[in-house]
Amino acid sequence: MIVCVAVVGHQNNPLYIQSFTDADDALKLHHIVHCSLDVVDERVNNPKKSGPTLNETFLGLLYPTENYKVYGYLTNTKVKFILVTTDLDVRDADVRNFFRRFHAAYVDAVSNPFHVPGKKITSKTFAETVSTIVKSFGLSSAG
Amino acid sequence: MADPAKTPLGKMLLDEINPVVMVLDTPLVEETCRKNGLSFVEMLSPFCVFNNIDGEGFEMAKFETVGFDSVAVPVRTASDQPYRLQKFRLRLFYASDIRQPNLEVARERLKQVITQAGENGDSELCSDPPPIENLDARFESENLPSWFAFFNKELVRSASFSDHEAFDHPVACLLVVSSKDEQPINQFVDLFNTNKLPSLLNDGAMDPKILNYYLLVHDNQDGTTDKATKILTEMRSTFGSDCQLLCINSSEDGPVEHQDNPWVRYKSETSSGQNLGSFLNVNDINEMRDIMQELSTKQIIPCMEQKIRVLNQQVSATRKGFKNQIKSLWWRKGKDEIADSSNGSMYTFSSVESQIRVLGDYAFMLRDYELALSNYRLISTDYKLDKAWKRYAGVQEMMGLSYFLLDQSRKEAEYCLENAFTTYLKIGPSGQQNATRCGLWWVEMLKTRYQFREAASVYFRICGEEPLHSAVMLEQASYCYLLSTPPMLHKYGFHLVLSGERYKKSDQIKHAIRTYKNAISVYKEATWSHIKDHIYFNIGQWYAYLGRYDLAVSHVLEVLACSHQSKTSQDIFLRQFLQIVQKTGRIFEVPKLQLPEIKISSLRVIFEDHRTYATPAVASVKESIWRSLEEDLIPSLSTGRTNWLELHSKLVAKTYKESNVCVAGEAVRVDFEIKNPLQIPISVSSVSLICELAASSDETQTDANSQAGKLQNDNELTMTTSRESDNNSFLTLSKVDFSLGGGEVVMVQLTVTPRIEGILQIVGVRWNLSSAVVGFHNFESNPRRKKSAKGRQRGNRSLSDNLKFVVIKSLPKLEGFIQPLPTSTYAGDVRHLVLELRNQSECTVKNLKLKVSHPRFLNVGSQESLDADFPACLEKRTEHHYVQPDHNNISQPVFIFPEDTIITAETPLLWPLWFRAAVPGNISLYLTIYYEIEDSSSSMRYRTLRMHHNVQVLPSLGISFQVSPCPSKLEEFLVQMDVVNRTSTKSFQVHQLASVGEQWEISLLEPVDTILPSQCLVAGQSLSCFFMLKNQRKSGISENKTSSTSVPLGSVVRLGPEGSTEPLFDTSSSPLVDFHRNERLHQEISHQGDSTVDFILISRSLKSDLDSGTSDPPQLFSHHSCHCRQVPVPKLKI
Repeated sequence: MIVCVAVVGHQNNPLYIQSFTDADDALKLHHIVHCSLDVVDERVNNPKKSGPTLNETFLGLLYPTENYKVYGYLTNTKVKFILVTTDLDVRDADVRNFFRRFHAAYVDAVSNPFHVPGKKITSKTFAETVSTIVKSFGLSSAG
Repeated sequence: MADPAKTPLGKMLLDEINPVVMVLDTPLVEETCRKNGLSFVEMLSPFCVFNNIDGEGFEMAKFETVGFDSVAVPVRTASDQPYRLQKFRLRLFYASDIRQPNLEVARERLKQVITQAGENGDSELCSDPPPIENLDARFESENLPSWFAFFNKELVRSASFSDHEAFDHPVACLLVVSSKDEQPINQFVDLFNTNKLPSLLNDGAMDPKILNYYLLVHDNQDGTTDKATKILTEMRSTFGSDCQLLCINSSEDGPVEHQDNPWVRYKSETSSGQNLGSFLNVNDINEMRDIMQELSTKQIIPCMEQKIRVLNQQVSATRKGFKNQIKSLWWRKGKDEIADSSNGSMYTFSSVESQIRVLGDYAFMLRDYELALSNYRLISTDYKLDKAWKRYAGVQEMMGLSYFLLDQSRKEAEYCLENAFTTYLKIGPSGQQNATRCGLWWVEMLKTRYQFREAASVYFRICGEEPLHSAVMLEQASYCYLLSTPPMLHKYGFHLVLSGERYKKSDQIKHAIRTYKNAISVYKEATWSHIKDHIYFNIGQWYAYLGRYDLAVSHVLEVLACSHQSKTSQDIFLRQFLQIVQKTGRIFEVPKLQLPEIKISSLRVIFEDHRTYATPAVASVKESIWRSLEEDLIPSLSTGRTNWLELHSKLVAKTYKESNVCVAGEAVRVDFEIKNPLQIPISVSSVSLICELAASSDETQTDANSQAGKLQNDNELTMTTSRESDNNSFLTLSKVDFSLGGGEVVMVQLTVTPRIEGILQIVGVRWNLSSAVVGFHNFESNPRRKKSAKGRQRGNRSLSDNLKFVVIKSLPKLEGFIQPLPTSTYAGDVRHLVLELRNQSECTVKNLKLKVSHPRFLNVGSQESLDADFPACLEKRTEHHYVQPDHNNISQPVFIFPEDTIITAETPLLWPLWFRAAVPGNISLYLTIYYEIEDSSSSMRYRTLRMHHNVQVLPSLGISFQVSPCPSKLEEFLVQMDVVNRTSTKSFQVHQLASVGEQWEISLLEPVDTILPSQCLVAGQSLSCFFMLKNQRKSGISENKTSSTSVPLGSVVRLGPEGSTEPLFDTSSSPLVDFHRNERLHQEISHQGDSTVDFILISRSLKSDLDSGTSDPPQLFSHHSCHCRQVPVPKLKI
């Protein structure tokens, strides 16, 4: 199950962070997302590793914590998407697919002329789309 | 990499892995030593370290120069290769201490270490952590808190004296007896034979036959050494040559002060630092040093060498070589079935495995790492096959360390340590201590190689269940993340937070605060607000717990305006904050309090200089409207708004020429929005402005003072209130109390009224939050430049300039009202209004002028019509007294009051105004009244009173005229009038139709009764009627009665019922004629000819309506339709 998704701007400022758990663990998830930015930065700044996959937006598994797996995705505008999931065996293809749809939703949201770039995404439509994508992720991996 | 031995890990290993000497002594020996404040072991400890003269390590260098030759210890390897030990150290332990430390005791000790460190770090607790850029520099040079190293050492020691490792097993036994003891020889024998020996010797884990060294301690204060020497000879005859006499306390002339006291480092409690060893003089020290050197170089090292050689031969014979390997493999296989995990008793000291381990450890201690490594390797596979996991892990650990010290394969070293670490963990809680120790070594190794990231993850792995332990480990991990290149700041912050939380759990509040404060630098930017709030709030709470309420308040303040948090946490934050503030027992004054939020962008300053406003709302009208309106009013001499100031520059210092001007006794108003960012209601009270007023007499001086005072105040948390009290008599401040609901925005209007002349500066605003905290907001703290309402023209001036006023002497100020101006009416409505002007001051005003923005709507009447009865005054009089309309009224829209009009304090001026709702819509009417001040000494000669009214005009009657030529007569025209009632409820009674212009005469074609029997046009109804229009002039018919008076009256047709006696209204006199003129001007069309005609339709609202309408005055409507032309109809040929 996806417990948290986040959009982080290129200055590592959170643009959108949404947890999908019932428990009051927003702080914990914020920490996990914030922490994973180090790994993103490292992968971005380390040209050796990203050499063959120069145009690859999917960053793969950032780091596994005790209970979570954190995946990352980096757009061309250096906006990061972070996915925190409790599923222990996740197929890469699923995650890629998720990020692709998530990216599309994000692009739609920031194309809104009333959206201020670099500010938090407050669009309700975006939130709905994201929660749909998140729900469908759970289904596809179960099936 | 540098010499591995010189790295921190190398030094640590040299310190920790050394031969152990077991000390057995009698109580009298201890007593003797106690005189110096030392135990026997402590007394000898400084002399257990031996350095090569050219070796590093300066601790002992001092003593070497005192009287020591080189103590380079010559050693031989197992294969008789001589080499030198750079540094050699003995570890002295009492026999009772040679056992595995009690976990609980060890834990207590660790806790004590941390608590102590917390107390010591108290001073830096209050200072803010350096910004993150400086952090690198701060920690780069291993400048981490020094107690980390100490703590780590303690942790390592808590795993010592395990039976699976030989380097903690004593290699020698030091038996000490005092010369005062009865029967010293027997005492020596008893000491070694008692059952108090450590279990290691008794349970067979190690060879009980160890080197014994006999020492007789003599206290020189007890007399001469005669008796002692006698005992020594006796000892020598009994135990052989391994006997020595140590004379101490030989200081004769009182206590000796030791500079650079050598014992301080070995004493855990540093309380009595300078008194240590006070009876030991130089001779004693030299004697101790000689004895220890002899013990190590002549006894222990040769003994170890010997043992290494013997063991090496044995091992080679049994285990080395292909044959032995095969043999052991077979043998192992057979043993497999019986092997179990109870490996403690499986290997006694005589077993081959133990011997190999001893050989390895001895070689390690004598720095022969090659030999050690080969033996460890040999034994490692055996232990693995035996599934003796603890021993296997121990050997792996030593292998890793050997690899490291040999600076050989890094990978191997790491692999071995990791292997050892995981194996220790695997065997459960009994291996925990060892795992920690192994992890620490691993970490140190990684740090030496600058692999900080890996080191951090190892730290993370060694934090166990125990919160305090893991807190320290996590904190160290965080610093590793910081030191790694590039620094991993996010992880640094995260681990600091984790660590702080664990510190808190184990009641180490000060440490918790320290870690959290360090973490602030990571999260300082507001973006990760959830985390930031968490940190600030917790720091605040912890400070409150420690009783540091001031710091607590300043931290909790940061989270107060947390609009992104949930309602409950907002509530908690606010409640906690108020609780802390309450505990401080005083009212806190906080600059830039975030609650509620002052919206600086909404700040508007409203003040009156020469421009005054009838109502506060008027001030919000754009200045440009007034400017255009007042253009003709204000004397050309002072077109520039501030020119009068230049004229009177002697009154006002030049520096303030650009300042705003306000008048003493008149309020300056500041409007701003105040917002509650939270979802919970907050109560705000005593909102008032902070102002400074410097009296003009000592203008410059006071101003300088107040500037200085202000600077000071900016830096302080609390603010002196003297300023307010000083100025109290000169200033009147308004105060507002209100409560803000969740998310509510309130417009606050505050005023300040200066009482004396001088310079007024509005500094900011202050308020009470929940009657506990006083908040300040300095308006100019926001450097953005803002326009105030008045400063639009000078928009480039900063806000603080706009908040600075020159207060001038009190002036008369007119107040004006227009009564009774409706707010909503119907188009065409004509009303009689009264303008009332009052002057409250003693000084009279004169030269009044008035200008109206919409003359179509508002006309100034004449003085006589003030008390006139409306609408009767408009009725046509039988005796005609026609007043020539004042044509100036149009050409010059400024109405100048008669010369002699003055307004004094007692008598208000009343002046009639005519209002007519010309067109439907929402209309803003602006009036400006210009007046001059009688008193010529005043710095302001004139002022203007600005009035503004909004009127909503609803559509009433729609009227259109169609003029067509009369088919029968050339000079006559047929006029069709269509009237539609466009209202939804109102009924109208058409009253009369007038044509304007002398040449026209209008008459009814048929009585209105026939068209409109009811006389009344109800809502939505329309009416058409026809008139005959005759052009008198062209027809050449002799002028009738009306035209004989040569008045361009036009003619009037009554539309009322036949025979009605209701009077007609005079459309040719003021005000209707004035309104008509304005309408004409307004409806003007491009090509104007003579052949146009204007009509005025006058209607009245129905009587019944009037009765139901409560306070409505009788209403009269006039509708003007100008420039009606003949419709160009195609002419029909008859």
